[in-house]
Amino acid sequence: MVYPLVVTKRMMEHPADSHTMKRYEATGGYVAARQSVGQTREELVELVKASGLLGRGGAAFSAGLKWSFLAPARPAYLVVNGDESEPGTFKDRQLMERDPHQIVEGMIIAAKANEVHDSFVYIRGEYPKPARRLQQAVADAYAKGYLGKGIFGTDYDLELTVHLGAGAYICGEETALLNSLEGRRGEPRIKPPYFPAAKGLYMKPTIVNNIETISNLPHIINQGSEWFAGLSDSADTGTFMMSISGHVNKPGNYELPHGLTWREVIYDVAGGIRNGNELKAWVPGGASAPWFVPELHLDRPVTKEACAADGSMLGSGAIIVMDHTTDMVGAAERLVAFFAEESCGQCTPCREGTTWLDMILQRVLNGAGRDADIDLLLDVADNISVGLGWPPKQTTICPLGPSAVSPVMSLVRHFRDEVEAHIASAPHSGGQGVAVSIRGIA
Amino acid sequence: MSDQLVKITINGVAHHVHGKSVLIKAAEDTGTYIPRFCWHPRMAPVGMCRMCLVEVEGPRGVMLVPSCTTPIHDEMVVHTETDTVKKAQEGVLEFLLANHPLDCPVCDRGGECPLQDQTMAYGPGESRFVEEKRHYEKPIPISDLVMLDRERCILCARCTRFSDEISGDPLIEFMDRGNSTQVNTFTEEPFASYFSGNTVQLCPVGALTASPYRFRARPWDLRVIGSTCTVCTAGDSISVHASQNEVLRYLGVDNDATNHGWLSDKCRFGFEYLNSDDRLTTPLVRGADGEFAEASWSEALSLVAEKLTAIVTDHGPQAVAGLGGSRGTNEDAYAFSKFMRTVVGSGHIDSQMDDGLNPQLLAALSGKGLIGDLEYARTILLWAADLKEEHPTLYLRVRRAAQELGAKLIIVHPRRTGLDDRATFKFGYKPGDGARVLSELMAGQGEYAAARAALSEGPVVAIVGRTGLTESPVLAESVAAFARDLPNASVLPIVRRSNTYGALDMGLAPNLLPGRAAIGSPGCANLEATWGGLPTKAGYDAAAIATGVDEGSIKGVILLGADPVADMPNGLDLSSPDFVVAIDLFLTESSSQADVVFPALGFAEKEGTVTNLEGRVQKVNRVVPGPGQAREDWSILDDLSARMGKPMGLASAEAIAKEIAHVAPAYESVTWDLITWDHPDGAVVPVVAERSPLEYVPIVSSASSTPTKSEFVLHSARTMYDDGVMCQQGPSIGRLAPGAAAYLNPDDAQRLGVTDGDLVRVASTKGQGDLPVVIDVSLTVGVVYVPFNQPGGPHFGSDLAVTLVKL
Amino acid sequence: MSWSAETIKRAHDIVARYPEPRSAVMPLLYLAMRQDGYLTADGMKQVADLVGITPAQVQSVATFYVMFKTEPKGKYLISMCTSISCYLMGADDVLHAIEEASGVPAGEADDEIGVEHAECIGACGGAPACLVNYELIEGLTVEKAKELVRWLRDGKPETINGDELQTLFGSVTSFDWAIKEDNAAIGPYPAFPVFGTAAQNTDALEPGRGA
Repeated sequence: MVYPLVVTKRMMEHPADSHTMKRYEATGGYVAARQSVGQTREELVELVKASGLLGRGGAAFSAGLKWSFLAPARPAYLVVNGDESEPGTFKDRQLMERDPHQIVEGMIIAAKANEVHDSFVYIRGEYPKPARRLQQAVADAYAKGYLGKGIFGTDYDLELTVHLGAGAYICGEETALLNSLEGRRGEPRIKPPYFPAAKGLYMKPTIVNNIETISNLPHIINQGSEWFAGLSDSADTGTFMMSISGHVNKPGNYELPHGLTWREVIYDVAGGIRNGNELKAWVPGGASAPWFVPELHLDRPVTKEACAADGSMLGSGAIIVMDHTTDMVGAAERLVAFFAEESCGQCTPCREGTTWLDMILQRVLNGAGRDADIDLLLDVADNISVGLGWPPKQTTICPLGPSAVSPVMSLVRHFRDEVEAHIASAPHSGGQGVAVSIRGIA
Repeated sequence: MSDQLVKITINGVAHHVHGKSVLIKAAEDTGTYIPRFCWHPRMAPVGMCRMCLVEVEGPRGVMLVPSCTTPIHDEMVVHTETDTVKKAQEGVLEFLLANHPLDCPVCDRGGECPLQDQTMAYGPGESRFVEEKRHYEKPIPISDLVMLDRERCILCARCTRFSDEISGDPLIEFMDRGNSTQVNTFTEEPFASYFSGNTVQLCPVGALTASPYRFRARPWDLRVIGSTCTVCTAGDSISVHASQNEVLRYLGVDNDATNHGWLSDKCRFGFEYLNSDDRLTTPLVRGADGEFAEASWSEALSLVAEKLTAIVTDHGPQAVAGLGGSRGTNEDAYAFSKFMRTVVGSGHIDSQMDDGLNPQLLAALSGKGLIGDLEYARTILLWAADLKEEHPTLYLRVRRAAQELGAKLIIVHPRRTGLDDRATFKFGYKPGDGARVLSELMAGQGEYAAARAALSEGPVVAIVGRTGLTESPVLAESVAAFARDLPNASVLPIVRRSNTYGALDMGLAPNLLPGRAAIGSPGCANLEATWGGLPTKAGYDAAAIATGVDEGSIKGVILLGADPVADMPNGLDLSSPDFVVAIDLFLTESSSQADVVFPALGFAEKEGTVTNLEGRVQKVNRVVPGPGQAREDWSILDDLSARMGKPMGLASAEAIAKEIAHVAPAYESVTWDLITWDHPDGAVVPVVAERSPLEYVPIVSSASSTPTKSEFVLHSARTMYDDGVMCQQGPSIGRLAPGAAAYLNPDDAQRLGVTDGDLVRVASTKGQGDLPVVIDVSLTVGVVYVPFNQPGGPHFGSDLAVTLVKL
Repeated sequence: MSWSAETIKRAHDIVARYPEPRSAVMPLLYLAMRQDGYLTADGMKQVADLVGITPAQVQSVATFYVMFKTEPKGKYLISMCTSISCYLMGADDVLHAIEEASGVPAGEADDEIGVEHAECIGACGGAPACLVNYELIEGLTVEKAKELVRWLRDGKPETINGDELQTLFGSVTSFDWAIKEDNAAIGPYPAFPVFGTAAQNTDALEPGRGA
């Protein structure tokens, strides 16, 4: 099955040099940027609104609408989020490494659409090669006069700075990213202010867009909003990229149309389960998404709406596939451990709760589980995400804490028997443990 | 953001409150306390502890929101006591206690710990956390004054926020991340902040403790009384905590008019001198052998009465001079004023040590500007001492105005100051050259154009004083004269000793009488009747008294809590007068040269009133009895007056306050009862228009410029910690004095061939000393800065000209 | 070690790129790591001076991000991903193999080699994967990981080039890496040319790096 490609078309057709200025310009590059520099903010915002492009960072908010909210105060900034760090996600890495000029061009369009003159792309520190490629592309664009003073011979100025993170998942959260870009700890900001579009970088109006979102822009300019919207049957227009990893035969990034079924994605696109094993479960949209299981979800469509209806999410489009050999307690522990490790530490429930959840799961895995641990897991989880519902309610500034709750809930919902088996194998599982008195202290 | 009234409904009860507030504050103001750890009304919310989660009804249903970051809005419906809220609060407490060591029995905070209190009120009975707790080395000293126990810390960011946002010295920070997050200082740099003690008071657990207080007392054993700090002139509200007749700590009390609850470390830890073994406990009389011997009060008082009477008889009353009175209460100052004028009959009296400002200027400006005016200022002109060193809580208020409230700050000072990082304009200059700077600023010439334009935008607050001891007081007066005509201007004149304003209001200046009256002013009828006459001409100020001593015309000197030998820039030769009597807490460089020394009660040992730089009168109160036979200053003077045959009839501090209100119309409305019961935050002395000092109009004078041909001019200024007796008698802060050094511009240092640490010989007409060099880029070429009154440091006097020689 | 005039110049250029100096803290920390091999107190003070904040503020930022190291991590830092996708593909066994072959437990370092576990490094399609001086190897196996450690110990390469490592020790990748590049890391920090933490494979090492 061959699907139409947008953002990965060039790299697929020209694998040897898709990242170079020469190839980029030979395949229609910078035509869109050159054109949009002559267009007004209103024209560009309306075009992108009409294309139906939704942000690809996970929240799926209309890109054009987001732009239209940018407050009029100046200076204002464009910040592109290349801090892709969600376990299972590696699509932006490919876009940066293999087609960096597409991002530079997209940023020129986004900058012009928002009348900003200073832009940044924040790349996670673990991506030195993508960062180098993007840096090279930026340098080439400066050399050609596509960035800097008076770009494309107009009087429009645009600076673009590549900024490196240094190992913090939380900087993918946009306000944490802005703090990080300001040279601070990457801690999410409290609300209000509610949107960076009003108060963002240095508390100035700021547009924050994702790498994949930005990569789509040159194509929308070149081929029009109707073409882009026509690529999909749903409100979620264009194509979207999925990162598929885990126990599949063909892991990797795939640019796909909306509306396939999970069976098609896992068995056709990703080549099925390794060694002919049985599919046990998969994470549908990044580490914080509640798990899907074949009995319930294999023939459900891969759309945001269907995932939401089934109590999960498509998120950033990362699917992690687990076969029947997987210890689900181990898998859950690994997911919880990630969030515990990556908690910024501001909010008490997240800082203390995620680590506590991980400690309990580790204890269960190490043969020191107790019967009371399942209830304890659920109640600690409930204190991080009140009511344990979906979408999660949070007691915290950002959703990271509740994200750690989701694998615990999935584990208990679908694989309670495996947890109980671990606990039953523990030598002292029957005890309730020692409760530590808090009251009655000095 | 609106300041209009909005309606919010909390737990079913509707309230109308001002719209510019966060929910937690609005709830508290209307009687609903929402538990919290990280929120503090004087700092920006961070929403970190999550203890204050409440439910708010909204378009998407009932949401759990942190009440400390959620602004209120009209028709807001809030629930603070639902099962969901209680569950969330219990959950947060359980999380906070998961890694808390529960070492309350050995924790200083035990008994006054918000974590302990809220656990009792809102927490679960037991913890289900059976895993290994976080461990850290405990406790670690992070400065000379503060210990840090990271195991107790609940990461509320109060200390880090205070240091960053309020005091502007972010030396204590969150380190690491997530579950490993800890508060700490930079590896090689201690928490050396003048305000570190505030973080101890702010800490909602026992993570930060003050070394001077550790393990000294349990809160339930403390006697606590409200009072007013007398370290600087801001009149900070404090509470004094004592146990077993010993003062153990001060805490800041939030007074909206003055300190906002903050204290400098000098104030907070400066009480230790009260408990010093060196305190005087009995009168001392110098014997024939030249040594002090203990004496009875009766003996000592009679001797002093006899000696003073003899001098007056032999040489006339003008042979006696009085110095001091600016460290005590208004009642003490009034007694001193009355004693000198009516008992001795001398007008040679000064409460400033030749380092202050023209008393008429201070009296004329008093009450015309409030610290609170900084909240509304658009432009602030700061041409005075480095506030961080000398007026620390005022420094915090100016920092807030410039940083949080967006006022433009113009600083004129010969050297860097603690507020430079917040200054919109900073102008350095060479001491002696101030008149030129002022005239150019007034004219808006050259580099001063933008600053002058900013000064045209009122309201303006001008903080005016001498930037250093070598600078003429005429300059500050000229600046004040310029500033008072700026749009909507408030002028806050700055002098050093805490109750100078009160002392001047009581007439402790050669040309002033109680109630901001000048000699010869109308409207002093009550004073005349009570005193049985009025002085007709001005006496000597401190400098003239020193000259009189040198020339032999002053035969007798009375020191009231004054140490002119050490504290006057040009010193005082106390070996010359025939008779010196000192009323003091300690044997200082001055009182140790006296013939008779009376032991006085100090702060927290007596009650009375004090007046701050705004003219705000506040109470100081007694919580401990004081050492030995020490007595109040006024009572000593009263006893002396009786023995000299002219009894003043002063019965108690309260009675004196009543007499003040009677004789000094300005104080008529600021009664003892008013500030004791109705206005514990203090009341500002109203400006009485018909009193003549108010007709005193300062003028811009070129006499403030003192050209000198000297290659180097001296800038000498006081530092927070110095060789003063109250500092040195406190083990905690005495050792923090920076020490004497010669600070030089790098170009001057290069020219002299010296660098950091090299010795130079600095000499003036008054003294010389060999000092280590410190390179200081903030100084103008040709200026040498020497901090005043440092341990082991020489005195150079107040002359500008000095010479420097490389050693 | 104090910074050379050239490094200071580069630092000022970095500061000038940003609307506010503090934004340069992280790039400057990379420079500081390059200078001394890890973040020394002097390095952090230098950064503090350059952007006008206190050393405590710099340390607060530095310790938030796991890639900034305030302790020596050897000449080669192996960061083995143990997050979910790598875990599913046997990352724990590979990490144990690295620990055994090097004799360095995760979280520690000797003069030559540092070993740590890392959270997701964005190489899930090529799991299990690790970083060496933050340069990527995808498709590791227990055997290849042991070879990698031996190669580092015995060969003591001057620079670490990701493409070369991938050829020698990797297999399945997240996507086609396409043409190779010359940039290489020269210490326990990644190869970012603009921050001076990179060398061309063919270049001599720049002077100035701590031992």
